Amino acid sequence: MELLSNLALGFTTAATLFNLSYCFVGVFLGTFIGVLPGVGPLAAVAMLLPVSFYLPPVTALVMLAGVYYGAEYGGSIASILLNIPGTPSASVTCLDGYPMAREGRAGVALFATAIASFFGGIVGVTVMVLLAPALAAFALLFGPAEYFSVMVLSLVAASVVSTSGALRGLNMVCLGILLGTVGIDINSGVTRFTGGVQELRDGVSLVVVAMGLFGISEVMVSARGATRSYATETFSLHHFLPTVAEWVSSIGPAIRGSAVGSFFGTLPGTGQTVASFVGYAVEKRVSRNRDNFGKGAIEGVVVPESANNAAAQTAFIPTLTLGIPGSTTMALMLGALMIHGITPGPRLIAEHPHLFWGLVVSFLFGNLFLLILNIPLINLWVRLLRVPHYFLYPTVVVLICVGVYSIDNSIFDIWMTLFFGVIGYLLRLFRFEPAPLLIGFVLGPMMEEFFRRAMLLSRGDPMVFLERPGSAALLGAAAILLVAAVVPIKSLLAGAGFRRPAHADEHE
Amino acid sequence: MTTRRDILSATVIALGLGLSPGAGVLADTAWPEKPVRILVSFPPGGASDLVARLLAEKLSASLGQKFVVENKPGAAGTVAATALQGAAPDGHTLMLSNLTPFNVAPTRFPDTPYDPVADFDHITYIGAVHLGLFVAPSLEIDDLETFIEAAKAAPGKFEYGSSGVGSWGHIIAERFVDVTGAELFHIPYKGSGPMRLDFRAGVVPTIFDAVPQNLPSVEEGSAVPLAVTATQRIDTLPNVPTFTEMGYDIVAENWLGVSTPTGVPAQVREKLDAALQEAMMSDDVVAQFDTWGLVREPMTSAEFSEFVAAQFAAWKPLVAAAMD
Repeated sequence: MELLSNLALGFTTAATLFNLSYCFVGVFLGTFIGVLPGVGPLAAVAMLLPVSFYLPPVTALVMLAGVYYGAEYGGSIASILLNIPGTPSASVTCLDGYPMAREGRAGVALFATAIASFFGGIVGVTVMVLLAPALAAFALLFGPAEYFSVMVLSLVAASVVSTSGALRGLNMVCLGILLGTVGIDINSGVTRFTGGVQELRDGVSLVVVAMGLFGISEVMVSARGATRSYATETFSLHHFLPTVAEWVSSIGPAIRGSAVGSFFGTLPGTGQTVASFVGYAVEKRVSRNRDNFGKGAIEGVVVPESANNAAAQTAFIPTLTLGIPGSTTMALMLGALMIHGITPGPRLIAEHPHLFWGLVVSFLFGNLFLLILNIPLINLWVRLLRVPHYFLYPTVVVLICVGVYSIDNSIFDIWMTLFFGVIGYLLRLFRFEPAPLLIGFVLGPMMEEFFRRAMLLSRGDPMVFLERPGSAALLGAAAILLVAAVVPIKSLLAGAGFRRPAHADEHE
Repeated sequence: MTTRRDILSATVIALGLGLSPGAGVLADTAWPEKPVRILVSFPPGGASDLVARLLAEKLSASLGQKFVVENKPGAAGTVAATALQGAAPDGHTLMLSNLTPFNVAPTRFPDTPYDPVADFDHITYIGAVHLGLFVAPSLEIDDLETFIEAAKAAPGKFEYGSSGVGSWGHIIAERFVDVTGAELFHIPYKGSGPMRLDFRAGVVPTIFDAVPQNLPSVEEGSAVPLAVTATQRIDTLPNVPTFTEMGYDIVAENWLGVSTPTGVPAQVREKLDAALQEAMMSDDVVAQFDTWGLVREPMTSAEFSEFVAAQFAAWKPLVAAAMD
C-alpha cells in the first residue's frame, strides 16, 4: 500500500491551486514557445528557468516539466503545419503529418497528435508510478556496449523509415553520421573537420541542422512552387475529427508507440529520438496500412507522438532516481532544484518524496491541460495555413533566425542555418529526405562514442558486443529489422519473395 | 628649525590627504548606465550558471541596473572569453571567468585568440571547487596508499573516468600517474553527468571529478573519496586527506571569478569589486555557496590578477604533459 500513500502524497502536493496554476502556465507557455521554429524544449526550459528561482522547489519543477512536455507537443504543431521539426523526434511526425496537412487534413493530424500525446503521456506516467525504482536500476544495466547496440538498432530503424527507399535512407544516415564527426573527438581530443573555425570545435549544432534542412529549405521550395494554400475551407470541430476507421486503426499504434516510448525514455540522453524512430519503423513493418506510411497515414502521426510523449515522462526516472542528469534539459531541471539548495543525488526521492510524487501526479494534470488547451486551438493553428505565403514564410525565416540565435547567442549559427537550408533544398531536388540525415547526425557521434568506450573497456575485444546479453539481443533486433526492410514480408508470404529481390528496397 | 625637507614632506602629506576625498569622488562613477551583461561559458542550469544568476540578482538590486546572464557555451569556454576580449571596456560586459578558458585552453589550443593575462582585468575572486579521487565501493579500498599499491601491482588495470580529454580531471589524473607511478587507464566522457552514471553503474571503478556534485553519492556510500586536490582539508569532506598531506604534490582548483576586458576605468573596477564583495557577504549568498560547496578566501583585485597569471603558468606544463 506504499504506492497508494505515495500517490496520496503526490496528489496533496500537486493538486493545490497554486501548483495547478503553475502547471497550467507551464504547459501553456511551453506549447506556445514550442510552436516557434528553432525553439525546442531545451530553449523553452532555459528561457523560463530564471522564473522558477522565485517559486518553491516543487512548483518550480512542476512548471518547468510542464514547459518541457508542452514544448515537445508544440513542436509537433510546427512539424505538421510547416514541416519544421524542432527536435529530431518531431522530424518523425513530419513524415506523415505534413503530407496530411497538404491534403487539407491538418486539423485531423493535430487532433490525432493531441490525443496520441495525451495517451502516451498517461502511459508514461503509469509506468513511472509502477516501475520507477525498477527502471532506474535498469538504466544502470546499460553499459557502453548496450548503448552502442541501441544506436545501431535506431540507425537501422531510421533508414527503414525513409519513404523513398531504404537505400536512399541509408545514404542520408551515413551523410548525417559524417556531419556528426565535425568537432573535437571525445576520445583523442583532436579536432576533426573544423577547418580551423573556432565555432565548429563543439561540432555543428543540432538545431542549426534541423532548422536549415527542414525549415529554410521548406521556405525555398515553397518560394519556387505554387503559392496555393493547403488550408481546409471549413473550420468546424466536426471537420477535425478522425473517421471511425481512423480511430480504430490508431489504437494499436498508440499502444505500441507508448510502450516503445516508455522503454526508451528511461535511457538517459537518447530516449525520445530513439523512441520515435524505432516506434515508427516497427509500425511501418507491422501495420496493415504500411503502404500509406509517408503519404499521410494517421498511424504515422500517432506512433511518434505517443512514443515521444511517453518517453518525455519516463525520461525523468533516471534523472530523479539517480540525481544525475541524462540530458541538458534534465540538467536544467536539476539546476532549478540546486538554486533552492536541494542537491540532486541518489537519495532525492527518499529525502524529498513529495517532490518526486508531486511531479508525477502533476504530469497527469499537465497532460489533461494540454488536451483541453489544444483541442480548441486546432482551429487557430489551421487558420495559420490561410495566411498568404508571402507573409507566412518570411515570418518563418525571421523566427528561425531568432530561435537559432537565442540558443548560444551566436551569429555564426544563423549563417550555418542558411547554409544547411541550401543543402536541404538541393537534397530535396534529388528526392533525398532530411529525416534520416538528422537521426544519423544525432546518433552517429553517440554510436562512435559508445563503440570506442566499449572497445577501450574491453581493451579492443569486439566480442563484448555479443557476450553481453542485452547488447546481443539489441543487435539481433536490429538485424531482424534490417532483413525485414530488405525482404518484403508480403511477397514472402505469397511465395514470391526471392524471385524479384531487385524491387525489395523500393516501397513506392 | 624647519628644513626644506620637512616642508616637502608636509606638502606631500597634505597632497596625500587632499587626494583621499578626491579618490572618493572619482570612485563615484556613473557606471552602470545601462544593463550589464555577464557572459557565462556554460549552458544554463549548471553550478557556475547558478552562481552568475545569483550574483546578477544581487548586483541588479544594489547597483540599480539590470545585470543579465548571457550563456555563451562552447569550445572549452573560449567562445565566451573571445567575446569578452572583443567587448567594449566600459564595464557593461563582464564574464564569470573560470579555470578552463583562462588557464587551460590557451595552452591546449595554440590558436586561442587571446592572452588570458594581458587581455583581461580580473576583478573579483569568487571561490573554487576542488577535484577529488573517488573509487567504487566494490574495490573495497578506502585509503589512497592502498589504491596506489593496488594500481602499481596491476599497471593499466584500473580505468578512470574524466569529463573529457583536456578536462581538468584528465590533466590532474595524468599528473597523478606521473607523481605516484601508478598507471591508470583513461576513459574520457562528454561531461561529468554521463561519467557519474557509468561510475555508479560500475563501468569505471575510479573517477577524478569535482567534489560537490559527488557528495550525495559519498553520503550514500556509492562513492569512496580517497583524496582531494586542495591545499588543506575541505569542510565538506573533513576526513579525507589532501594529496599534499599524503606527500604527493597535486594541487588543483577550478576557480570562479569576475573578469572584464582590459581598459575598464579604475573607478568602475573598484565599484564593481565593492558591489560583488558586498553581495558575497549577504546571508543568502553565503548559504547558497555553502550548499554548492564553493570554497572561498578573501582576495583583492590585484591578488586575483596575480593568481590568474600564476595559475596559467602552473597549468601550462600540466596541460602539455597530459595532452602528449
